[in-house]
Amino acid sequence: MRKTVITGGRELPDLLAAVGALRRLADQVEDAAVEQAMRSGWSWPRVAEARGVTRQAVHKKHARRLIAAGVELRRR
Amino acid sequence: MSSGFGRYVHEIVDRAGLEAKEDGSAATEAQHLLLAIAAEPEPITHRVLDAFGLDHHAIRVALDREFERSLGAVGVTPAAFELPRASVERGRPRLAASAKLAIERGLGSVERKGDLRPAHLLLGILQAPVGTVPRALDLAGVDRDDLRGRLLEALQG
Repeated sequence: MRKTVITGGRELPDLLAAVGALRRLADQVEDAAVEQAMRSGWSWPRVAEARGVTRQAVHKKHARRLIAAGVELRRR
Repeated sequence: MSSGFGRYVHEIVDRAGLEAKEDGSAATEAQHLLLAIAAEPEPITHRVLDAFGLDHHAIRVALDREFERSLGAVGVTPAAFELPRASVERGRPRLAASAKLAIERGLGSVERKGDLRPAHLLLGILQAPVGTVPRALDLAGVDRDDLRGRLLEALQG
């Protein structure tokens, strides 16, 4: 695969836009993956460990959305 | 702030929040304001946007292209994998810096607050020199200076 070489100012707008686009893509992947895991019966601690964050962090970020969507959540 | 403008901005921000959630975005960005404007039947903005072929669908397509192009700049192809659709958060997303800036620029585009009209919000969005909206409009082949000029003419007419 060809590597992108960052030179000069020509690609700067694309690179700066890429930062936002990558964050958005990461959020989309996280939302979808956490939801799939919880729908498959994973527990919060397991999702948190797989994601590399604390249980509190993953719960705070996703619990309300998943409860509203009617996903059955396992506590442990 | 003139009450007509204030009411319009509230309506657009509400609708833009739905666009943001539809997008899986945690915050309402300037591009969501633009999508909301295209979906609201405000006569001046519509006349101008229509003249450039910019209805809601065309803007959506342009934004998707911009997203793909931006990811492509670092070698990521979102089309290469299929994500299951995630449930969206309830409640209104916060306003991102790009949306706040667009509203401020709209407010700042008149000398007297009493002169503010709904289309000044679109003018504020179009004043961004860089960022997602200008990139998407460029990709859609829109001459942004021309679009801004036509909007100013319509506001004066």
